[in-house]
Amino acid sequence: MSEAAKIDRPTRWDAAFDADMTDADFEMLMARPEITDIDAASFPNSVSVEGIVRYDMRVNRYNPGDIVVREGDYGNSAFLILEGELVIARSPGIPADELGRLQADRQGIMQRITNLLINNSWIPEVRDTERYTNRASSAGTQNGKQGAFLQDVPAIMRDQDTIILNEGTLFGELAAIGRVPRSITIFAEKAATVMEIRWQGLRDIMKFDKQWRQTINDRYRQTALDSYLRQIEILNDINDEEFAEVTEKCLFETFGTFDWNITFKRGNATEPIIAREGDYPDGLLVIRAGFARVTKQYGNGKRTLTYLSAGDMYGLDELYKAWKDPDTDSGGLNCTISALGYVDIIRIPLTVLEQHVFPNMQSAPETQFSLLDRTVSEDALLEWAIDKRFMNGTQSMVIDMHKCVRCDDCVRACSATHGGNPRFRREGQIFDQWMVANSCMHCQDPVCMIGCPTGAIHRSIETGSVLINDDACIGCATCANSCPYSNIVMVPIRNKKGASIIDTAETGQPIIKATKCDLCAGRPGGPACVKACPHGALDRIDFRDFHGEAFGE
Amino acid sequence: MTNFINRLTLPAVIVVLVFGVLFYAIETAKQNLEDSVMISGWVLFGFFVILALLNVRKKLIAFNFGAVRHWVSFHIAAGVLVIAIFLLHTEGQIIPLGLYEQVLAVLFWSVSVTGVLGTIIINVYPRRLTDTGGEIIYDAIPAEVMALRQEAENCVIDCVNSSGQATLSDHYSETLDWFFRRPRFYFNHLLGGDRSSAWVNKHVEEVRRYLSENEETFLNQILRLALAKSTLDRQFSCQDLMRKWLLFHVPLSIALIAVSVWHVIMVHMYAQ
Repeated sequence: MSEAAKIDRPTRWDAAFDADMTDADFEMLMARPEITDIDAASFPNSVSVEGIVRYDMRVNRYNPGDIVVREGDYGNSAFLILEGELVIARSPGIPADELGRLQADRQGIMQRITNLLINNSWIPEVRDTERYTNRASSAGTQNGKQGAFLQDVPAIMRDQDTIILNEGTLFGELAAIGRVPRSITIFAEKAATVMEIRWQGLRDIMKFDKQWRQTINDRYRQTALDSYLRQIEILNDINDEEFAEVTEKCLFETFGTFDWNITFKRGNATEPIIAREGDYPDGLLVIRAGFARVTKQYGNGKRTLTYLSAGDMYGLDELYKAWKDPDTDSGGLNCTISALGYVDIIRIPLTVLEQHVFPNMQSAPETQFSLLDRTVSEDALLEWAIDKRFMNGTQSMVIDMHKCVRCDDCVRACSATHGGNPRFRREGQIFDQWMVANSCMHCQDPVCMIGCPTGAIHRSIETGSVLINDDACIGCATCANSCPYSNIVMVPIRNKKGASIIDTAETGQPIIKATKCDLCAGRPGGPACVKACPHGALDRIDFRDFHGEAFGE
Repeated sequence: MTNFINRLTLPAVIVVLVFGVLFYAIETAKQNLEDSVMISGWVLFGFFVILALLNVRKKLIAFNFGAVRHWVSFHIAAGVLVIAIFLLHTEGQIIPLGLYEQVLAVLFWSVSVTGVLGTIIINVYPRRLTDTGGEIIYDAIPAEVMALRQEAENCVIDCVNSSGQATLSDHYSETLDWFFRRPRFYFNHLLGGDRSSAWVNKHVEEVRRYLSENEETFLNQILRLALAKSTLDRQFSCQDLMRKWLLFHVPLSIALIAVSVWHVIMVHMYAQ
């Protein structure tokens, strides 16, 4: 264990998006007007346009029936059609059983027995360093294909309301930049060639090229409005002509900052007001992405009633009452809405609602939030969780300290499942009897992914969990520094013989990798920590559904 | 506690049914003049093995053999059942005749008593620890004790340097130094007492009248550290007990099974 082995320090473009990109494909991409129009001089030497094209892009060739993006998947890339056409199945949508989803590698019985018998857990953070010397493409789909194939394209074309995307169309940037799931399925009806760019490259192009930034921002707003408005129930009854008018008049607003995690970690998080209690509402607010806190004046403070996340609305009942009874004095907003971090809002103006929505409503909407049914004590946990921004987690590890016997069986189970290396610490913030342990919460808004230069940290296409591709991780610690909850740990790695791995460069610094909870990906039965707890004291929860009730029963 | 009882409901129902069936089988065997002790003996031994499987299950966490919490619930319910089966087997005798059988019985009752105590411990002490506050991982406690002691000693040295008086340092050496050296008042903490804080307050306040205003600020710092140490001691005592009871229960269980195996062999040898 004392001898140190040396390897080259991993760098930004070690793990190319397509390690097998041909020179012909590279030259074809470089000759595209979308690339030639870029002002290459505005890019720094370390992030050249050539580098982005070579390492952050790939050329995918689709056959008829191939699915390019699938509704509900988390994607980290955007697409540009180079040749041919693609099709959006807009309505009623392709049935889920026809979409087929890739299954993550599952640990078989033999593999689990082998892990049990041959477990070098006495050496921490062992890696097969051979893999790093033969670095392949980064996380995500293989060659840009989802692995799913539509069997009967003519039937889909016949039965579905479709939209054709032509050569030169850019799509998928919403999911790539906004860290939200794909909202539609796009497939190839005929053979098509598509450029795919991972979001790190897209981010750099947007950063340095004004034209791309403008185009993507415009499209971002237009597409976000269209796709989100179509999901709002109260707009279902209006026809396409009216819908177009609604789309045109809607406002797209952003509150807070995209990198809210930085100010939060520094302890000076702000919550910009989106709508203030008592103010007269001028439109219906729809949350497109992010979180917003709903508060009401209570005594000399503000009491949190709930929080809103993507798809939630606010203000409908107040607007409806004001429209129905214009003489009423109580037309003001019931609550204050403030941004928790970064929030995208769609504001549907009152005039639009009065013209197209309210006349069609059969009954008045119910009051959304009320203080009547809960006590301050009952809301205290929610108040605390929102202050700590735990509402971001979809799989927060919460421990009931009244049941926990501090045996650390959860830590041992985690360790046994990860080659002797526990991926969480049984410590964290405590409120009453509830501890939110330092374990990855698999956030709805995973800010850890923002700065990753290689895309090593990514969303699992199958489960939506946030995972780290160890092969692509260069140990830059950007994710660990970004995580607002300090749940990502950088570790120095060793080879199979137990030797520390150090850089071949003169510095001789250790090679480090980011590690965190992966929800025991590939292990049937879910997270080992939950299964191992002898007293049902530990569970993975979403704070939206958790109000301090006992779990583990 | 309500949750704990809820968890045990289903296992308890199963256990009662098993006991009912066993009781019926034994009574039937007696009526038919068959050897009913063999039935209860084998069932008892079978339950010993089943109860011991909990530890094996914990090791095989990569396999889907059900959540450990369900195993523990069944373990507790079945643990109560084996006491009843044992009494059926010995026909009501707590300590049977015969030296080997007496060793077996002592082991059995030791395992049972440690099991019952363990069940009480896992229901009482987690809540007490939560109420104590200052949550800390057990393995980190010695380092934390050391850090508090170091801080207290630095405080005493600073006091001497700044005041030129040795009153506080002398008193610290005679009293509080003992307290800061290692976890103290182990059993008092386990019993829920607060002797530790009372002791600290007594020894802090008895010297206060001899200190200047400047020295008192150092004394107050030491008091704060001592109260933190008191909380740490309570964490240590409770966490230590929650771990250590298994050091009695598990080895005794293994010994019980080993002695039982020999008992089964001997019984069958003599039965032939």
